[in-house]
Amino acid sequence: MSIALRGVTKQFGEYAAVENIDLDVPTGALMALLGPSGSGKTTLLRIIGGLETPDQGQVLFDGQDATLWPIGDRKVGFVFQQYALFRHMTVFENVAFGLKVKRRRERPSAPAIRKKVQELLALVQLDWAHDRYPAQLSGGQRQRVALARAMAIGPQVLLLDEPFGALDSQVRHELRRWLRRLHDELHFTSIIVTHDQQEAIEVADTVVVLNRGKIEQVGIPGEIYDLPESAFVHRFLGQVNELPVLLRDGRAYIGPIDISAAAEVQTGSAQNIALIRPHEIEIGQPSSGWPATVVAVRVIGPIVRLDVCADGHSVHEPLEAEISRERFEAERFTIGQRVGVRFRRWQVYPAAA
Amino acid sequence: MATTASVALKRRKTRHVLPGFGLTLGYTMVYLSLLVLIPLSAVFIRSVGSGWGHFWEVVTAPRVLASLRLSFGASLVAASINVVFGLIVSWVLVRYTFPFKRFIDGMVDLPFALPTAVAGIALTALYAPNGWLGVWLAPLGLNVAFTPVGIVVALTFIGLPFVVRTLQPVLEELDKEVEQAAASLGASPLQAFCRVIFPALWPALLTGFALAFARAIGEYGSVIFIAGNMPMRSEIAPLLIVSKLEQYDYAGATAIAVVMLVLSFAIMFGINALQNWASSRHGER
Amino acid sequence: MGRWLLIVTALLFLCVFLVLPLLAVFAQALAKGFEAYYLAIMAPMAWAAVKLTLLVAAIAVPLNLIFGVAAAWAIAKFNFRGKSALITLIDLPFAVSPVIAGMIFILVFGTHGWFGGSLRAHHIRVVFAVPGIVLATLFVTFPFIARELIPVMQSQGKDDEETALSLGATGWQTFWRVTLPNIRWGLLYGVLLCNARAMGEFGAVSVVSGHIRGVTNTMPLHVEILYNEYNYTAAFAVASLLALLALLTLAGKSILEWRQPELRHAVRMPRDRTRRA
Repeated sequence: MSIALRGVTKQFGEYAAVENIDLDVPTGALMALLGPSGSGKTTLLRIIGGLETPDQGQVLFDGQDATLWPIGDRKVGFVFQQYALFRHMTVFENVAFGLKVKRRRERPSAPAIRKKVQELLALVQLDWAHDRYPAQLSGGQRQRVALARAMAIGPQVLLLDEPFGALDSQVRHELRRWLRRLHDELHFTSIIVTHDQQEAIEVADTVVVLNRGKIEQVGIPGEIYDLPESAFVHRFLGQVNELPVLLRDGRAYIGPIDISAAAEVQTGSAQNIALIRPHEIEIGQPSSGWPATVVAVRVIGPIVRLDVCADGHSVHEPLEAEISRERFEAERFTIGQRVGVRFRRWQVYPAAA
Repeated sequence: MATTASVALKRRKTRHVLPGFGLTLGYTMVYLSLLVLIPLSAVFIRSVGSGWGHFWEVVTAPRVLASLRLSFGASLVAASINVVFGLIVSWVLVRYTFPFKRFIDGMVDLPFALPTAVAGIALTALYAPNGWLGVWLAPLGLNVAFTPVGIVVALTFIGLPFVVRTLQPVLEELDKEVEQAAASLGASPLQAFCRVIFPALWPALLTGFALAFARAIGEYGSVIFIAGNMPMRSEIAPLLIVSKLEQYDYAGATAIAVVMLVLSFAIMFGINALQNWASSRHGER
Repeated sequence: MGRWLLIVTALLFLCVFLVLPLLAVFAQALAKGFEAYYLAIMAPMAWAAVKLTLLVAAIAVPLNLIFGVAAAWAIAKFNFRGKSALITLIDLPFAVSPVIAGMIFILVFGTHGWFGGSLRAHHIRVVFAVPGIVLATLFVTFPFIARELIPVMQSQGKDDEETALSLGATGWQTFWRVTLPNIRWGLLYGVLLCNARAMGEFGAVSVVSGHIRGVTNTMPLHVEILYNEYNYTAAFAVASLLALLALLTLAGKSILEWRQPELRHAVRMPRDRTRRA
């Protein structure tokens, strides 16, 4: 089922949680709503699910105006951040809940319910836990029960609100892969809310970056990371170094490096900054680029982080560069060593952004 | 990618997602109106109905004034006693362990659970000249039963849990580490108490005091047995209301009731304001 | 050590003010031996008083239960203007002297009251009869269940209910299957306190009852009558039953508090603490 939002706005008192959102979610997509807290991503999810009503705008399910449909009618599976498992019911009863409360005409027989629940529990690999209580399960296990429960009603859309936020990083990693596989097998339309850009990039087909109630950018993970459309997205999607861009004699400079003709860095603003990712910085011989001094070296698994202080640039803000382990082994950079800094890629934005 | 067509509709009314708002709020308001608001308004309407002059006359009659003075005065004393000892009791219950502590902690709620009449006759039996405590006090010249002192004793009993139960959660939340930090910075136990602990406690103390006070001024059952009930000397205001009711002097009874209600509501309002102020003063919550 | 001084002071204070009165009740009740005690309790008037007390509680507690649940649902699960005022309103009976609580119903339903004339015309007695006692008891005890449930439901939030709704449950199904099991300890606690007060209420009922022996005397009123007749043993005997009820209430309270620690210390209701969505 496809979902579309048209001009959706929601205010809480004076505060606009989401403003004039237009969004299309194609059938079968796994879309991530990514943003910092307060960006409106959870509010948007709840509006789609029917837990909030927008003040303005429409929510369309397969082209039909579902804005005022009650939650029960929307057939969406909702998984809350804190799982909201019914603590006084067993795992089995939790998963069976949606089936047991159906109207008499639609309610399956008891054996049919049992069969369905067992299927679902097997799918989430928790069939052994059917008579346990939520308090007896780990966080990752509870999360899977919550998912099985949501799937029991046969939804066409799955809405997940920061589903892995409360879990250890190892468990999170495993569950992300598992969720992606499940999604590919069962072809839901899924929307997942997260503040973790790593998670969004790993799991989703499409990422929607939200900031302060508005959409900053929509695109596939690679695009968002490599071709950010605004400084906010650029900063949010990973580490960045920020350097002012200076205009001299018709050309643009970052430090002593000529980056292009000034005409090519038109942003419409007088003050500009360049955002450069750590792995887009090249470290070489002192004569090969902007002279700098290495002030810190940190070996982190497969990469090595070098903090370098470029001449003329504030000593309190060293540049963070990342090079491969192999490169580091070859060059053996040390603290105090003089090097030359070059930029492979950069993007320029107005300074106010 | 997203299209740019937007449909702007008129701003919608808030819709509640959870059902039952209208039903539950409606029922609540009806119940409250019928049981509480309308009957309470009868007091004010009746007393105002007899005119301001009459109202003033009743309220300033010597017997009425004496009873009001007694009720308020005894309540003040009792609430103060409860503040002092309530602080000690809650301190001891929160910070120290000793045998039967849980049992004693549960017993603190006895005045809440025990019917007031039972408390009344029990206290009278204790403090009467031939009672367990009365026999010790009488030779010392302390007559408790049938005097205003007895009233204070009964009111102390009634208000005991209020201070203790208001202080306990605050004491429990006091981070031990904050005190240890004070000690490590050189503060003596007394300084730590005055500068670190007491500032956190006094709003709760004041609240407990106000609650005990409010409860005490209206107290009837536990007081009338031990009080003596002599007009002008040991007659509490609620008793005077009952007397007037029995004589069908509704105007008189409602006049006194109005005075007591206004004071009680003022105290409640004050407690609310105090709690709001206390919870926001350091930017918390 | 200062510590032990404090402990002894606290225990002494509690002993004098709490334990001794409790012991005095039982001591006085048994002063003339078990037989006299037994006779006093079994006396027909005493029994009538017991039955009336139980009847009043059996009516007041369920009615206030429904109110408490409704009020807690409205307050805990929704945001609306005037919520603080509503909470204050619910606390109102605690600021009203029991005597005044009884008086207001005389003003409304008594012979010289608002409805006095029409009630008399229809031969309905409210004041000086059981209905009046029930009304006065309702007034004095209705906050108890609400003020236990409101913090419990507020701290539980709306997640469970929203989940149930998203799974297709109706409002009633959600309430019975999801909300009620979640609040059962708070509910029990509130019922316990409400019942203790309903059975033990004195001042309000005294004003409204007319003290008609055998008909409108609850147990506390009966205690008063016996005491005023200098029939001390009998008075304390009936009082001892009430004291036993109090001890049972305290025991039940402790057990529930041990099971759900958040129930402790609900002396004041917290102000609006609803979580934002």
